[in-house]
Amino acid sequence: MTEEGTATEENPVLYVVRPMATAAKQFAKSLVRPSTVIYPFERLEDPAFREEVAVASGKPIGVGAIWDNYRGVHALNIATCISCNLCAFSCPDLCIEMVTVPGGDPKHPKKCPEIDYGKCSYCGFCSDACPEGCLTMTTRYELATAKRSEMVYSPEKLYEVFRTKLPMNPIRLERPENEDQILLDPPLCIGCNACARDCPTACITMLDVAKPEAKAGEKLPKRIWKEPVVNDSDCVRCGTCISVCPKECLFWGKRP
Amino acid sequence: MSQVTLYSVAYTLSDDLLRAVGSILPAGPRGLVTSGTAVTALALLVFGAILLAASMLNTILLIWWERKLLGRFMDRRGAMHVGYAGLLQNFADGLKLFRKNTFQPREADSLGFYFGPTAYLATSLMIFGILPISSGWNAGSLPLTLLLALTIFSFAPLFIFVSAWSSNNKYSLMGGMRSAAQMIAYEVPLLLAVVAVVIVAGSFDLTTIVYEQQNYWFWGPLVVALIVFVAGMLAEMERIPFDLPEAEAELVEGWNTEYGGMLFAFFMLADYLRALVGSILVVLLFLGGWTLPTWVPGSLTSFPLAGIVWFMVKTYLVFGLFVWVRAALPRVRTDQLLRVGWNRMIPLALLSVFLAAVLVEVRCLPVFGCVPSAGV
Repeated sequence: MTEEGTATEENPVLYVVRPMATAAKQFAKSLVRPSTVIYPFERLEDPAFREEVAVASGKPIGVGAIWDNYRGVHALNIATCISCNLCAFSCPDLCIEMVTVPGGDPKHPKKCPEIDYGKCSYCGFCSDACPEGCLTMTTRYELATAKRSEMVYSPEKLYEVFRTKLPMNPIRLERPENEDQILLDPPLCIGCNACARDCPTACITMLDVAKPEAKAGEKLPKRIWKEPVVNDSDCVRCGTCISVCPKECLFWGKRP
Repeated sequence: MSQVTLYSVAYTLSDDLLRAVGSILPAGPRGLVTSGTAVTALALLVFGAILLAASMLNTILLIWWERKLLGRFMDRRGAMHVGYAGLLQNFADGLKLFRKNTFQPREADSLGFYFGPTAYLATSLMIFGILPISSGWNAGSLPLTLLLALTIFSFAPLFIFVSAWSSNNKYSLMGGMRSAAQMIAYEVPLLLAVVAVVIVAGSFDLTTIVYEQQNYWFWGPLVVALIVFVAGMLAEMERIPFDLPEAEAELVEGWNTEYGGMLFAFFMLADYLRALVGSILVVLLFLGGWTLPTWVPGSLTSFPLAGIVWFMVKTYLVFGLFVWVRAALPRVRTDQLLRVGWNRMIPLALLSVFLAAVLVEVRCLPVFGCVPSAGV
């Protein structure tokens, strides 16, 4: 017989004794403590439990290294949120809606993210995008609710999560080198102030520009003679100014 | 004080019960109720009830034992929440099955469909009446107990095939055919291994076989027969690695595909009853039954019901061996199964019969601790 597998089948040591020895080894190993975590009673994040496992098995529990990167329920620091919309823009599941929270002035209502965990895929793009580091992901993972509507976490609820001081993901605050900036196409600008009005960080100021002399037979455009200047160190790259600009004169680009 | 036996316990119970009932009756019925015939009749009933309850309880405990052991083999814990360490989990499962609706496929043959599982369970239960658990703890000492037990044990393929065929399902039928083929293939080496034991012990009576092992347990000199017997038992019990009739990857659930509710529970119970019978037979034939070696201190063997306790300990350890095999080995193919059965097991069984004859000829082997002239 030349079939594959005949050799092992003819050899009782390979076919019977070795698997039985492996099983016995596993049995002896898990006789003290099987790997199973009896979840509702034992929790991986419980330091006492991790200490107990480390003592029993002689080595620390395996998830210690990755635990700090766990992406669970978000924590929102309402106080530092600047309503920049970047979390909602970056969400691939469209589960973030910006809702009004008290604290803004009537003209500029403060809007903070409301997250629907029925849709959320816990990708963490929102907390990566958050320029102020106020939206982070925590290690909380228990979300079971009786009603679907309870899956929607209002900003206040997310703030409650923030106040529990759970371990949070490292916040990406450093900007990449040579990042795109807000640039202006001056001939198109009409000086309407919309960008400066809606900028969440108030980094846009409208500066006067000199009104050019009209040449003969030429008609000057009808506009306000002001142009936005972006304070680049304060800009969070939220793009609100680009989206509110009526003339599409702001764009992303690199300053030459 | 005479020796406590299962029948004496049942007789005392029914005697006391009927006396208590008779004391509140007028003289005429009292004589009728407390007569010897009535007491004997009730004693037989109580005897059967005790046997039934004990075997069922042990079966359910065996399922628990398998779940716990298999869990540890797989690096988990098994049932653990219902009752202490999950002891009551299987009772809960059984109650659930008991409450479920019994149904049958439209085209199924009702007679075979209901007769199959019932007879399968009933014949499996019958064996317990004649298996001695300790000295005196069996229904009666027949001269051919072993033969009767194995005969009842080998009824099973018939009932499995009946229930599989009457289910009117191709997977059931295939499973039933595989089951019949497998059980018949392994019946021969199993019986030959038993023959080796019978040659050495010189009797078909299980009690005699146990007492013949006072000098040395048979597993030592008859280790070949033990291997053949355990492998054959695994095939008879249709446990992994010989669970081809239930191969769930190819045959849904094998011959009990169409069964649900209590009928499925019948099959499940009967399977584990047969596993229990297999473990008990291994203990009786090869591991000295309820006796312990003479070098064991007397305090371990002299407490009341010590025989039963040690017998159950041995039985559960032997079943642990079956679980170990289940945890370690993958399922074999049909051709492998039949080749191992006919080409390996039968020569090995014949070899063990030969070795048993040699053993009888030299009376005993010095390595197992007896002097050559003592066995005559």
